[in-house]
Amino acid sequence: MRPARNPNHAIAASIAAVAFAAIAATFTFEPVPPGLPGLGAVEFPRLVSAILFLLALILGLTAASPTSEDDAPRISSRAWLIFALCLGFLPVMEIVGMIPAIPLFLLVVGLLWGGTAWPTLALSALGMGIAIWIIFVKIFRLTLPKGWLVTLLGF
Amino acid sequence: MTFMLKRRTLARLGFGAGAVLAAPGLARAQGGFPERVVEVVTHAGVGGGTDITARMMMVQAPSEFKQEFVVVNRTAGSGAQALQYLASKPADGHTIILVTQTHLLTQIRNRNVPQFSELVPLVRATDDPQLVLVRRESPFRTAADLVAAGKQRSLRFGGTHVGGVDHIAIFSFGRAAGMQQPTLVPFRGGGEIVINLVGGNTDSALVNPAEAEAQLRSGEVRPLLALSEKRLAGFPDLPTAKEAGIDCVASTVRGFCVLRGTPEDRVARLEQGLLRAMSGPIFKTYLENTGQSPDSVVGRAAWGAQLQAFHESGREALQALGLLR
Amino acid sequence: MEGFLGGLAILVDPWVMFMVFLGTVLGIFVGALPGISGSTTIALMLPMTIAMGPIPAICFLGAIYCAANFGGSITAIMVNAPGDPSASATALEGYKMAEKGQAGLALGMSAVSSAIGGIFSIFVLIIAAPLLARAAYSFGPPEYFALAVFGLSMCAAIGGDSAVKNLIAAALGVLIATVGMDLTTGVERFAFGIDELADGIKFVPVLIGLFAVGEMLDQVVRRAEKAKIIAMDAARVPGMAEFRKCNRSIWIGSGIGTFIGALPALGATTAALIGYNETRRWSKHKEEFGKGSIEGVAGPEAANNAAVGGSMVPTLALGIPGSATTAIILAALIVQGVRPGPHLFTEQPTLLYAVFASMLAANLFYLALGLYMAKFFARISLVPPAILWPFVFVLSIIGAYGPDQSMGDVVIMLVAGVVGFLFRRTGFSPAPLIMGLVLGGKMEETLKQSLIIFGDDVSMFATRPIAMALLSITAIGLFWPLIARFWRMLGVQR
Repeated sequence: MRPARNPNHAIAASIAAVAFAAIAATFTFEPVPPGLPGLGAVEFPRLVSAILFLLALILGLTAASPTSEDDAPRISSRAWLIFALCLGFLPVMEIVGMIPAIPLFLLVVGLLWGGTAWPTLALSALGMGIAIWIIFVKIFRLTLPKGWLVTLLGF
Repeated sequence: MTFMLKRRTLARLGFGAGAVLAAPGLARAQGGFPERVVEVVTHAGVGGGTDITARMMMVQAPSEFKQEFVVVNRTAGSGAQALQYLASKPADGHTIILVTQTHLLTQIRNRNVPQFSELVPLVRATDDPQLVLVRRESPFRTAADLVAAGKQRSLRFGGTHVGGVDHIAIFSFGRAAGMQQPTLVPFRGGGEIVINLVGGNTDSALVNPAEAEAQLRSGEVRPLLALSEKRLAGFPDLPTAKEAGIDCVASTVRGFCVLRGTPEDRVARLEQGLLRAMSGPIFKTYLENTGQSPDSVVGRAAWGAQLQAFHESGREALQALGLLR
Repeated sequence: MEGFLGGLAILVDPWVMFMVFLGTVLGIFVGALPGISGSTTIALMLPMTIAMGPIPAICFLGAIYCAANFGGSITAIMVNAPGDPSASATALEGYKMAEKGQAGLALGMSAVSSAIGGIFSIFVLIIAAPLLARAAYSFGPPEYFALAVFGLSMCAAIGGDSAVKNLIAAALGVLIATVGMDLTTGVERFAFGIDELADGIKFVPVLIGLFAVGEMLDQVVRRAEKAKIIAMDAARVPGMAEFRKCNRSIWIGSGIGTFIGALPALGATTAALIGYNETRRWSKHKEEFGKGSIEGVAGPEAANNAAVGGSMVPTLALGIPGSATTAIILAALIVQGVRPGPHLFTEQPTLLYAVFASMLAANLFYLALGLYMAKFFARISLVPPAILWPFVFVLSIIGAYGPDQSMGDVVIMLVAGVVGFLFRRTGFSPAPLIMGLVLGGKMEETLKQSLIIFGDDVSMFATRPIAMALLSITAIGLFWPLIARFWRMLGVQR
């Protein structure tokens, strides 16, 4: 179990930070061209950010019971590993291309997930990779990222 | 989103057969260019007006060039990404870009994208002149009424976003007519511009005839001037701005370009082939049905001159509007 | 009358009916797949339909449009991945139902309410299209502003575990909507010189991330938990009792959807969100919302499919498209030599009624297919999570990349996924954020347009009766609890 503390404080602080950053960013906008009527470019975002900031303050002052294990279960080390793999999908895709990366990802994450035997996983990963290739590349002619390794090998 | 028109598919559907017969062996005589799939880059999303122009051209181009054509949509940055995509490819004629005035304005405002001098014009595909419209109940019966009122107060014109092609056209029209600088009311696209004109939220608007076709026919909007060089075939009684003493032309143009450095024989081959592909019945019907002039399709000399002229007038207008830093 | 019968004649033309059936199947399929939307498919099919002749071509494309809007709800319900942006409101309750093991109920209700909404809007289209189209001219920026305020006014009540959190999520959504080039000043906001951001943040990657990837990440953490789904119940389709319960929601959704669809500047996504708001407001079972309410599936599904017929109103009667998809259908009509406009109703009634008849047929086809297939789709719940959720992630990547082939959109989608994950852990709901994103941008834009039209004079809003009426309804809706309490106090004293 987590220590019993008001979780709203951390949430409110991060929301306030977003609002503050947004207000700060409005000062980097280029000036509105001269002679245009109506509201400018910065007023509305500043207003919304200010409201956001205020709401964050209210939230920070509101009492809340600690987050329950049911709403936010602890993130295990294996879950972190899967998160990392999700992020790693992008660079792998850049290298070997999207179509080969898909069965690879499905197999590895499926194994880490657990609960399903590896031959089933391997077969379904391969099948889904092929299905995606047929539907998106062959039928709908989407150009999915090829990856520089594939381009290098001259496909 | 990419889409290929397979020659097989087309033949099955019954097009292209004529064009194949019309261009016997041209590709072989030219040493095999294009030797692989030709990419057509556009800044429009799938289904946008510019995208459809590319796809209509591509119906007959594959049989003309004996090669497949693919549309590559690079939508971000008002043409910036399309231009960067073009520049990232070798200048060998296998990547052509569909250029509109938007690209030229983006180049003028953003020095980091491939500039106008990097482009070699090929052919123009469409040339869609704009009309000056008012709604039926408008007190402005003639162009002279509009100009006279425009000298008294700043008139509200509907158009696309600030710094866009419409903004430049409205500004140039107002200046040529000696009016006070018109106020632009920006909208998202031609449909909203027309609706707000009929609804009385704007005084006037510059619109392509096809965009307001239903309203023109039912008389809900009235054209006052055509911003073209000659009178339009569909509006023989409508005077041009030049006839009314206002030196202003404005039209929506789309055409093809390649990257500088493309060998001259390939440029010539592409120009000839695209001209022929767009002289076929499919593209002709498309132009006719969308209310665009059938002499839209011209070669690189006229197309290049038009681009050059807009490049200069656009820069000057952006400067005068204070949009250039 | 002759035109009407001539139009209906296509219902017995086997070739046209085959094209409509093909379009329906294709539409459900692409609608369900994130990454390929109905509008993309129609654009891709457009050149191929040229040789077909106007009636089969338009019927084919119209069927894709009708069915794709329904198809989006299948993935929204089963894996929380709206296959089409307009299905995001369906995901809010539909996926919760699937989690409770009621996937079959949700899918069946989605098919039925979609078809009723769709058919209702087609009848409105037949009877009142030219009349309804006139309403489009009465809606300028001030009216759209009032409508956006009306839609946003409910966001405090919807979704997460407290009103403050809902408002925060909504404000975040509005802030995201300001990213990109400002229409009325041409200034790039929050773009930091990145081209992808300069064009604004698109709905599709945000929705896919927030819903599908957020859920997938949450499932990663809950990997070890026992599967809660009761397999036997998953395939049950709705019966009379459920329909009676949802009757009111379906009609509310159909009416709202048709009206909003008919307004050229708003589309099916807005229709579904406002449909969701109003379904909840008028429901007798408010407490079920957010926990898997079947009415919360019926209302928005009826609304987004009614918006399909609605958006054909300005397209056919004014020649002005009401959505991205109808823009392409309009192009298809024009390329076929059909000139939409008021005169279409008198000059080419046969073609017009053929379009209506084919849309009617498409709605009936997907109703039959949807009800029949609901049992099979519901079995997706039984796929082992180790196979299902990694696959959802992969589909999300393709879904974000597909429409514009941009890696920038994939990155935005992943960021939205992390936000969606954190939202789940901290008691926030994606619903108000989406409302802020969809309606907030519209609100700012139309406010600024109004000010330009009014010459910076805010009091001019008072001269616009429709806008004032909408703003008053909003105010009454907001303060209704107070008014009701005051009323009751009076009653007690008497």
